[in-house]
Amino acid sequence: MEPLLACQNPDGGWPYQQGEPSWTEPTAYALMALMAKSPAHEGVGKGLRWLKATQRPDGGWPPQPAVRESSWLTSVVVLVGMAALGRDPFGRGVQWIVRQTGAETGFFNRIRQFLTGDTQGSHGGDGWPWFPGTSAWVTPTALSILALRKAARYAAFPGLRTRLDMGKAYLLAHACSDGGWNHGAARTLDRDARSYPETTGVALLALAGDGSAEVRKACIWARGQLPGCRASEAESWLRLGLLAQGQLPPDVPPSARPARTIQNAALARLAAAASRGLNPFLE
Amino acid sequence: MGSRRMSGLNRREFMANAAGSVTWAGCSRTIARKPLAQRERLVSILRQTTYGQDLYGELRRLLAAHHLNIRGKRVLLKPNLVEFEPDAPIHTHPLLVHAALEAFRALGAEARIAEGPGHRRNTLDLAEAAGYFETIPRFEEIFTDLNLDRVAEVRLASKHSRLRSIYLAETALACDLLVSLPKMKTHHWVGATLSMKNLFGTVSGGVYGWPKNILHWAGIPECIADLYQALPRHFAIVDGIVGMQGNGPIQGTAKQAGVVVAGGDLAAVDATCCRIMSIDPRRIEYLRLAVGDVAEFLGSVRQVGETVERVRTRFELIPEWRGIQLS
Repeated sequence: MEPLLACQNPDGGWPYQQGEPSWTEPTAYALMALMAKSPAHEGVGKGLRWLKATQRPDGGWPPQPAVRESSWLTSVVVLVGMAALGRDPFGRGVQWIVRQTGAETGFFNRIRQFLTGDTQGSHGGDGWPWFPGTSAWVTPTALSILALRKAARYAAFPGLRTRLDMGKAYLLAHACSDGGWNHGAARTLDRDARSYPETTGVALLALAGDGSAEVRKACIWARGQLPGCRASEAESWLRLGLLAQGQLPPDVPPSARPARTIQNAALARLAAAASRGLNPFLE
Repeated sequence: MGSRRMSGLNRREFMANAAGSVTWAGCSRTIARKPLAQRERLVSILRQTTYGQDLYGELRRLLAAHHLNIRGKRVLLKPNLVEFEPDAPIHTHPLLVHAALEAFRALGAEARIAEGPGHRRNTLDLAEAAGYFETIPRFEEIFTDLNLDRVAEVRLASKHSRLRSIYLAETALACDLLVSLPKMKTHHWVGATLSMKNLFGTVSGGVYGWPKNILHWAGIPECIADLYQALPRHFAIVDGIVGMQGNGPIQGTAKQAGVVVAGGDLAAVDATCCRIMSIDPRRIEYLRLAVGDVAEFLGSVRQVGETVERVRTRFELIPEWRGIQLS
């Protein structure tokens, strides 16, 4: 049996750890990985029904059904695609993403910054937060860019192109001095912070097709991280990002690192699919 | 309910406090700390200069002084694993965590370890890099990633922050005693990060993301004080053997303080740690919010083991925080 299917909960969703309740993130990644291989499987249909049932009235998705707020997970669900989700759930999800911005660029915060002179964290474009009402960060911004790029292939959603451009500007403005990205704080109290492999990988994936000097520098940093990478999640994102940039070295062996969550197992499969020429994030 | 209070109250008083402090309202949980009579807060200061095997015996003796009644209880050890960098004293040393685990097991507790890091998602990989797998046998079997744990919405009764409720990891809420095991560090936003700030790891990253930025927008000191009251069954063991000074909690430098500080009231432990670090606890905002008059509160703290004066050392602070330094 396909190992991911063996971890599926009876309700149709997937947990982070086997035997736990279903969460939106591992469900969406497991579905993407399974759909790349066997889209007609019964487990895929059950998973999609779980996702559709957990969409909130505002169009977004919560991290898990017990949470009463839509959040960054909406971007991961939209990456599952319109064909699988259906036009209406997909479209409402896209519109929810377009409406989200980092709180640091909101009207009241700009007034506060004007009055106090404190502009820390508000430079660059307008990214996406993990949770509504908070600042933009690298990972949710990268995932939202990927989701909106996918949406742009289906229809002309209002405001989508502008948000894509602002999101990319956010990523480019938040690169660390060493070349990659961390969670989104490239400098703390005038000191440079170090990049992380996983956030660099997802940012490179979101910036596929961008030939800027920043992206070329990030590719060099990412290639240097791959051989010593200790974590399955980080390695998967590095592979996905470098493949999207056409920069994955040809002699890198397949990953042998343990995937310690179901979400990471799904990401490893998505990275493997991308290395075979099918990248579900960009297709 | 702190362990000191568990031992200091009779069973009926303890149960009344525990039951009275937790009420269910729909799917939310309201937790309010019931006022307790003025009491002495016991804080142990252990001089310990290395992470050696003697730590196992020392921690057992230290816990014995607190008369913890935890046989058969679920004890959750919560170290600080915010990030890992080789040679940087960011995380709680794995030997101290293992020594604490063994000490609580020796008291008959069912002890586990849990953490929910604030910046990185790959918690187990961080733990492996930090030496936890190597030091603690069968680590993966007794560890819970609080960021990916089941969550419960907890209504915040103390209302220091603008948050009315928060999603916390169920494992942290369900244990009988939450043991905060932080590193003794300076912190660029709040002055010092100790056992109370370490409670941020119980907030669900799976819900709020990495970092848990909602706590920053709601006010870091205010959220620390809220969590202190929302998670009342606690104990603290602070790793001050090698701490961090300067631009903590991540980019600072090592500071050999040579102490372990422990006790059943996190605020009393943190206030004591501040004094050891040559930081004025009255200038730490989250302590003020949590206990009110810090000077008066300090009067209820009784140190055992070493005195503050004998182990006091100067932690360097970034310029923005030099005003809180004791002369």
